[in-house]
Amino acid sequence: MSADESRGITSEYERGRPLFKIGRTLLNGLVLLFLVLVCLGPILWLAKSAITPTQDTLRYPLELWPNGVDWENLRTAWVDIDLKLYFWNTVIIAFGSWAVQMLVAVTGGYALSVLQPRYGRVLYGLVLATMFVPAVVLLVPLYLTVLDMPFTHWNLVNTYWGAFLPAGASAFNIALVKRFFDNLPREVIQAARVDGCGDFRLFWYVVLPMSRPVLGVVSVFAVLAAWKDFIWPLVVLPDPAKQPLSVRLPRLAGVTELDVMMAALLISCALPIAFFLVFQRLFLRGGLDGAVKG
Amino acid sequence: MRNHRRRGLTALATIASLASVSVLAAACGSDGDDSESDGKVKITVEGWRPGDEQGTIDAVNKLADEFMKDNPDIVVEPVEWEWSAETFSTQLAGDTLPTTFRVPFTDTKGLAERQQIADVTEYVNELPYAEEFNPSVLAAATGTDGKIYGLPTDVYGVGLHYNRDLFEEAGLDPDAPPTTWDEVREDADAIAEATGQAGYVQMSANNTGGWMLTTLTYTLGGRLQSEDGTTASVDNPATAEGLQMLHDMRWEDDSMGKNTNFEWGTINEAFAAGKIGMYMSGSDVYNALVTTNQVDPDSYGLAVLPLSDSPDAGVLGGGSVAAVSAKASDEEQSAAVLWNDFYREKKNYDPAAAEADAKVLAESDQPIGTPTLPIFDEPTWQGVQDAIAPYVNVPQDQMSSFREGIFDQSLVPEPASHTQELYAILDAVVQKVLTDENADIAALLADAQSQAQALLDS
Amino acid sequence: MSSLLTRARGSASTLVFLLPMLLVFGLFSWWPIVRSVIMSVQQTNLVTDPEFVGLDNFRAVLEDPLLATAVQNTLWFALLALVFGYPVPLILAVIMSDVRRAKGLYSLLAYLPVVIPPAVAVLLWRFFYDAEPTGVFNSILGKVGLGPVPWLEDPAWAMPSLVIEATWAAAGGTVIIYLAALVSVPPEQYDAAEVDGAGVLGKVWHVTLPHLRGIMLITLILQIIGTAQVFLEPYLFTDGGPNNSTLTVLLLVYRYAFQNTTGGDYGKATALSLMLAVALALLSLVYFRLTRRWSE
Repeated sequence: MSADESRGITSEYERGRPLFKIGRTLLNGLVLLFLVLVCLGPILWLAKSAITPTQDTLRYPLELWPNGVDWENLRTAWVDIDLKLYFWNTVIIAFGSWAVQMLVAVTGGYALSVLQPRYGRVLYGLVLATMFVPAVVLLVPLYLTVLDMPFTHWNLVNTYWGAFLPAGASAFNIALVKRFFDNLPREVIQAARVDGCGDFRLFWYVVLPMSRPVLGVVSVFAVLAAWKDFIWPLVVLPDPAKQPLSVRLPRLAGVTELDVMMAALLISCALPIAFFLVFQRLFLRGGLDGAVKG
Repeated sequence: MRNHRRRGLTALATIASLASVSVLAAACGSDGDDSESDGKVKITVEGWRPGDEQGTIDAVNKLADEFMKDNPDIVVEPVEWEWSAETFSTQLAGDTLPTTFRVPFTDTKGLAERQQIADVTEYVNELPYAEEFNPSVLAAATGTDGKIYGLPTDVYGVGLHYNRDLFEEAGLDPDAPPTTWDEVREDADAIAEATGQAGYVQMSANNTGGWMLTTLTYTLGGRLQSEDGTTASVDNPATAEGLQMLHDMRWEDDSMGKNTNFEWGTINEAFAAGKIGMYMSGSDVYNALVTTNQVDPDSYGLAVLPLSDSPDAGVLGGGSVAAVSAKASDEEQSAAVLWNDFYREKKNYDPAAAEADAKVLAESDQPIGTPTLPIFDEPTWQGVQDAIAPYVNVPQDQMSSFREGIFDQSLVPEPASHTQELYAILDAVVQKVLTDENADIAALLADAQSQAQALLDS
Repeated sequence: MSSLLTRARGSASTLVFLLPMLLVFGLFSWWPIVRSVIMSVQQTNLVTDPEFVGLDNFRAVLEDPLLATAVQNTLWFALLALVFGYPVPLILAVIMSDVRRAKGLYSLLAYLPVVIPPAVAVLLWRFFYDAEPTGVFNSILGKVGLGPVPWLEDPAWAMPSLVIEATWAAAGGTVIIYLAALVSVPPEQYDAAEVDGAGVLGKVWHVTLPHLRGIMLITLILQIIGTAQVFLEPYLFTDGGPNNSTLTVLLLVYRYAFQNTTGGDYGKATALSLMLAVALALLSLVYFRLTRRWSE
């Protein structure tokens, strides 16, 4: 990370030349302006509209509160159209999916990378192969599976387990964690083995304590993915009282007044944005090595 | 210190996941049918639409309580539900359908044929009025095998809904809605000119485009299918005339607004928000406009559709059948029919029941008196209307054109075979005409005709 | 230490560790994949027993006049996404890599749209795309004397409109990937280029872009695979309209399965899914071969 501070595309000499300096500052400024307008702009506009009466948003979409601010929208959205229920549903789904993904990725990655069973390579290949099967291709058979689980005949439709468990089947997570474990210093593991460490002790006291970075990365992406997911919860949670925001919002869009709808949209993206700001380092740096080279 | 925190985090994660697995086992294990252990039949029933106000929900629950008092062996649980072809089969497979729900006339036969709704002939025949249904209405609830698959509970004719405020703003008389399509076009133009809102809008998406194009065709004397549903006649002069009119309103007059992607729910929303001068929909849509979209009653008007001089010109009529899930047990089927009789059908037949129902609805400010059409014979219908008259709270004066005119119009049922698929084909045609100024209507219809015929031949 | 003992113990505990993965993948990935192959040769209404129909489902899909439309639209979407979506993150990343102050702010802003739930983004953009002159985008265009543009209301405009939103929603992720790759450009190469008299653009052309070559290929293929699966935008924006101009392959799969009023044609849905999966698998194969060659 410090290498890029010492030099980038431009050299210190070039940056010292006055004309070049102006041009570069201008370009950087333009890019910043572009990013603010394009990336932040729509979200700021949404925030504005969330507290603007409907007619103002419709007639003067670009003006700032021509007829005052209406904070009531946020309360109406939260209470009257019951956004709080869907908000907590989303939180539950995000937490459950996270827990399942962590369990599967960490244990699976450990077994494949450290324990290295003979059939490990085949298994890993089978896991990776699922990356190339589009999620929607599996929609129907997955739905039918969840409807009537093999052997047990449990019906997970309209239960949160139907949302949590399939999230665990993420080849991306397994690959990320396995690669991380592959790069752990083998000497430490050897030493622990020599000390008589069994598989469980090795996992718990040696490998896990060293894997905080990758756990963080898997966690943030797991939570975000669960928050963003749309089509699977749409299918597996037909009961409106159990649905997350993503599924509920399009349904409400046709029957909710515009200003309240905007407030609802704002509330729905507030948590992921806050989450992103808090864990920005993991989002912007952590996941990349694995993602890029994997 | 750091080491401990780290370990704590992962330990927590592992414990949480392990704990959740055991909870899963417990949760799923106890998923038995405890509902019938106390000798009661438990059914879930279609209660309200997504987005309905609390008053609607309260009214249904109140009626459910009353029903359960009369039928102590039945437990009724009303749930949010709205017919959607999109989720129906997954809900059926997932056993998440309510025990009973309403299905449009157009879908009943297909569902019956695929055994996705239950044959309830014996339960329906036990009802006192089983012999008295208007035969053409009962036909809509009857499968090709002659069995009855539900109770036809509401019948509508398509009407022209209009915004009285926009009429006034445009200098038009809100008590004199248009009576010919030319007048519709003129008025729409006047409204668009004067108010900047869309003068006339027609649904175009999610099969409603086909539904409304069929309606328009009927008013101009055309048909899209032979009566027995074996031959398609999509490419007919009336449909072409209707599409040409839409094209001219959209592109020459510019009186249909710039947004054309509407379906049943979104057009209601836009109308209630005052963005639409006129549109066609079922005569009973006022109920949804009130409970879901909070329309201003004073601004609402309902007229009969203009019919051309053709002897075949008529107005499209449809309705819904209260059907029962194919997965319901015999007891549940029987209970569901009883509930439908109590909640939906008796009030169409028995003036006393109609009055009692109106009373409950009135207490929670639900709309009463929205125009419907007879399910039994006309005197029965009239008796019911008289019984609820004291409770009427919808602006019936503003619906007089429809209330007085509808019985002079001939009601034409929807195309008999593959109706929704035919509508899907027509959706694309309507969308093309509304979004492409240079759309070749003749070519579009010729193409749609061959698709529609292929559908019937398959 | 007895090797026999450890191996015996080891294999049992290995299984314990593998169990969550085997269960979850087995039940929710491998089995559904196998099942979709089975279903593609069956007809089922989900109530009565399924019936074996051979290749009828595949034939029915291939005979569907909408299939050609859907394939064309998907390719069109992929092409537009390449034209709009591919260069934007690259250009941004190259410029941003040379920013010295507040670099974090740039990345933060660029990534922000990625965390917005797609359903929220589409609903918001659907409002932006209001075709009336008073719509948000048309108001902005109006201020500079352009428009109004019909956006989603015109068969020709609808797809580009979807692509713009999709690019907005996804570009940040690609920017971050490029930025990460650019960190590892050896400074000596820039020094050497300067010695050869290269200007800034010369350095970008001769050093930066060649360094990104491998990554660019990966993001290219990933983007094509991603766009082949586009579903949410056409589903929520236009539901395939107007006049099927945004009907994509996956939307067609979804329609077969869930929107068909004949009660869910799961056979046709899985048949088309499989055909798409095979096409993507071939593409992935090409991808692997290419990346191997490039990384050599």
